[in-house]
Amino acid sequence: MRVFGLNRRIIRVLLGSQYAHMLEYRAEIALWALSGVLPFIMLSVWSGSDARSGLGLDGSALDRYFLSAFLVRQFSVVWVVYAFEEDALLGRLSPYLLQPLHPLWRYVAAHLGEQLTRLPFAALIAAVFFAVQPQAFWVPSLGGFLLAWLATWMAFAIAFLFQSLIAALCFWSEKASALERLQFIPFLFLSGLLAPLTAFPPAVRAVAQWTPFPYLIDFPARVLAGQPVDLLAGFGAQLAWIVLLLPLVLLLWRAGVRRYSAMGA
Amino acid sequence: MGRYWRTLRRFWGTAVAVQLEYQANVLIELLAVAMSLSGSLFLLSLFYGPDQTLGGWSWAQALMVQGLYTVFDGMATTWLRPNLGAIVTHVREGTLDFVLLKPIDSQFWLSLRTLSPAGLPEIGLGLGLLAWGSHQAGVVLTLSSLLTVLVMLLAGGLILYSLWFLIAATSIWFVKTWNATEVLRALLASGRYPLNAYPPALRLLFTLVLPVAFLTTVPAQVLLGEAAAPMLLAGLGLAVLFFAAARAFWLFALRFYTSASS
Amino acid sequence: MIQVEGLSKIYRVAEKQPGLAGTLRHFVRRRTRDVTAVQDVSFRIEPGEMVGFLGANGAGKTTTLKMLCGLIHPSAGEVHVAGHRPQRRQAEFLRRITLVMGQKQQLLWDLPPMDSLRVNAAVYGIPDGVAQRRINELADLLELGEELTRPVRKLSLGQRMKAELLAALLHEPEVLFLDEPTLGLDVNAQARVRQFLAQYNRRTGATVLLTSHYMADITALCPRVLLIHQGRLFHDGPLEVLADQLAPEREVRLELESPVEADALAGLGRLEQLEGCDVRLLVPRDQLTAVVAQLLDRFPVRDLDVTDPPIEELIGGLFRQGRV
Ligand SMILES: Nc1ncnc2c1ncn2[C@@H]1O[C@H](COP(=O)(O)OP(=O)(O)O)[C@@H](O)[C@H]1O
Ligand SMILES: [Mg+2]
Repeated sequence: MRVFGLNRRIIRVLLGSQYAHMLEYRAEIALWALSGVLPFIMLSVWSGSDARSGLGLDGSALDRYFLSAFLVRQFSVVWVVYAFEEDALLGRLSPYLLQPLHPLWRYVAAHLGEQLTRLPFAALIAAVFFAVQPQAFWVPSLGGFLLAWLATWMAFAIAFLFQSLIAALCFWSEKASALERLQFIPFLFLSGLLAPLTAFPPAVRAVAQWTPFPYLIDFPARVLAGQPVDLLAGFGAQLAWIVLLLPLVLLLWRAGVRRYSAMGA
Repeated sequence: MGRYWRTLRRFWGTAVAVQLEYQANVLIELLAVAMSLSGSLFLLSLFYGPDQTLGGWSWAQALMVQGLYTVFDGMATTWLRPNLGAIVTHVREGTLDFVLLKPIDSQFWLSLRTLSPAGLPEIGLGLGLLAWGSHQAGVVLTLSSLLTVLVMLLAGGLILYSLWFLIAATSIWFVKTWNATEVLRALLASGRYPLNAYPPALRLLFTLVLPVAFLTTVPAQVLLGEAAAPMLLAGLGLAVLFFAAARAFWLFALRFYTSASS
Repeated sequence: MIQVEGLSKIYRVAEKQPGLAGTLRHFVRRRTRDVTAVQDVSFRIEPGEMVGFLGANGAGKTTTLKMLCGLIHPSAGEVHVAGHRPQRRQAEFLRRITLVMGQKQQLLWDLPPMDSLRVNAAVYGIPDGVAQRRINELADLLELGEELTRPVRKLSLGQRMKAELLAALLHEPEVLFLDEPTLGLDVNAQARVRQFLAQYNRRTGATVLLTSHYMADITALCPRVLLIHQGRLFHDGPLEVLADQLAPEREVRLELESPVEADALAGLGRLEQLEGCDVRLLVPRDQLTAVVAQLLDRFPVRDLDVTDPPIEELIGGLFRQGRV
């Protein structure tokens, strides 16, 4: 039986081969994990600053928030646009389009394989963090952990769909990938990676709530760090973004493929 | 010497010509810089309320640091990324051979071959921010402080270049060094804030191991009249040291390349 | 101009098992293996000579050329080119040589060749007026015109190769090293490049060492041939001697109007294949014209084609027969 063109065997083969492929790049992926240290730099600035008291994250809560932000980011990094561009450039796209499997599934599997490869490196960085800051150590409850996991995957799904939308635009214009660069800037500042959302002035926070960005880092990080959060509102917003983006991506992608085959490129 | 100068002019002439082939990129770059700078300023403002300082630095003083960081970021976009990023490509595609066969220093060629004007607005904005911050902080410019800052900027640029070049040169062994450069960039981001904003252990790290302090904090202190002469000398000394290390490492890497590579 | 004495190159390659365990093991105990690419090669080339460098894939041609221009250091032996030791790569030496590689390019992809040429002029310290005159002359010889002002990415492979040659010759080198300069070009472009090299050699008296896959390149250009096999030099001498040794026969392919019997072809070379109307014959070089004339005379020929067997095959055959 196939659901969305997938069955157990396809899933197993896709994930297995992509994981093996990503293992070949483990050195690059380790460095890449390391290049995600920005939350730690921001943590050290926030901890000593006068503005810290306004964050509502006292004591170890701040450490835990930024470590969680780091981990959530590690497992929601998305690079579909770049993979897609490379595939298009090297002419690998056409054979993919001929296969009876939506090409996006291949990218999903690649991302999951990459996350699995990244797991030990991210864990190592977290371990080093705890060695330096032993008082920040905590073990989330099982329920809390599972919820955080779910929230991180939802965050990954939103980011993935968002970037797939941009990738689909690449069918029309080569410049579309620049959109990815441009959207990364508000993501960086509004997602909670550099500052918890509670640091924002109320007006900015209100605006940010209407963008997908806070649900990519701030919300899952708070769930993981064991902060009191409105779970219903958070998951509701994540789901809403997915429900909004999914049909858009599918439609735009289909139109893009039609255009691609019409041009015979 | 004259030959090197003429070559440099040709290098940059062709670089600008390449950029003009892709006009839309310039616009995108401008937009990205504007967005990025507003984001940074917004983030910085979060640290400041009434009577609040960041590691003892006032808002205006922190703006100076932010401005200096922007200058160096622009420098990376204009100069370092396009040139040093291409070294990997040269090694992978074997075109490094052509560079080595030219009767001109290979490090000179690889380091100054091109220039991406797209980063120039960022440098301009950074300098503007530095000037504005200095003005607000009540800095009295003297000829000597201006000269010192200029020297410090050059020293900082040299340190940044040397670090980046060292990493890029390892591509002779490990072909993909792009991610290593990303780690460097992530760590350099710490230069956005004054050194005193960090805990003591990190201050030491950012002064001695990865001398980010000499890129942004120390020049700002020079303008504010706070940096002592030893600090300046240390900055200059480090710059010379790092550059010598980069040069020596390149010569070593070349020896390796010519005795083993394809 | 070029003196090579006992030249050898041994590459040390790391042996690493795939996978994480293999990487770790490699890290702890490096295991290496030696690959001998060039072994005890000696020859001399006089000023103005055009010499062809032949050998199968992996024979060591590129490695030798790279040692001659100083890109890699020899493991043993002495090299002198234009009175210099190449591996020191002195500016004085680099100004007198050039290297053209068929599969790599030095021209900037996004810019017209002209821009790269101007950069080269500055790098080699050629005054603008002189550079412009040389560009005009060379462009004339190469039949390049407005192509020089079109971005390289919009040039055909043949045009790009000609522009590469121009860029490589702008500083009027006395020694030209060419590594498969006709790789991938169509027959016309190959002929054009060949013709240019011959003209250039005649006009400037430059010394040329050329490797190629295509026998035709060598036959057209080089009276003298070096044959290298598995890193060793096996032949150094006139082309005719080698050609007879290598390819005493040429292959004639025929397509006839109507099928023939094998008997009818007796005495017209060695019959390789006969399938209805398609015939393949191997004919000794000296009888070629006579045989072709007879064939055309006696049979209703629809199509006739004479080819040199590919060089790889010839050299392979040579070694199988144990003739060297
Ligand atoms: N960088 C290298 N490291 C290890 N072995 C090499 C390297 N370059 C070439 N070789 C080996 O040396 C031999 C000669 O190669 P090469 O000179 O490129 O041959 P040719 O140009 O005649 O095809 C081959 O066996 C090749 O595999
Ligand atoms: Mg070769």
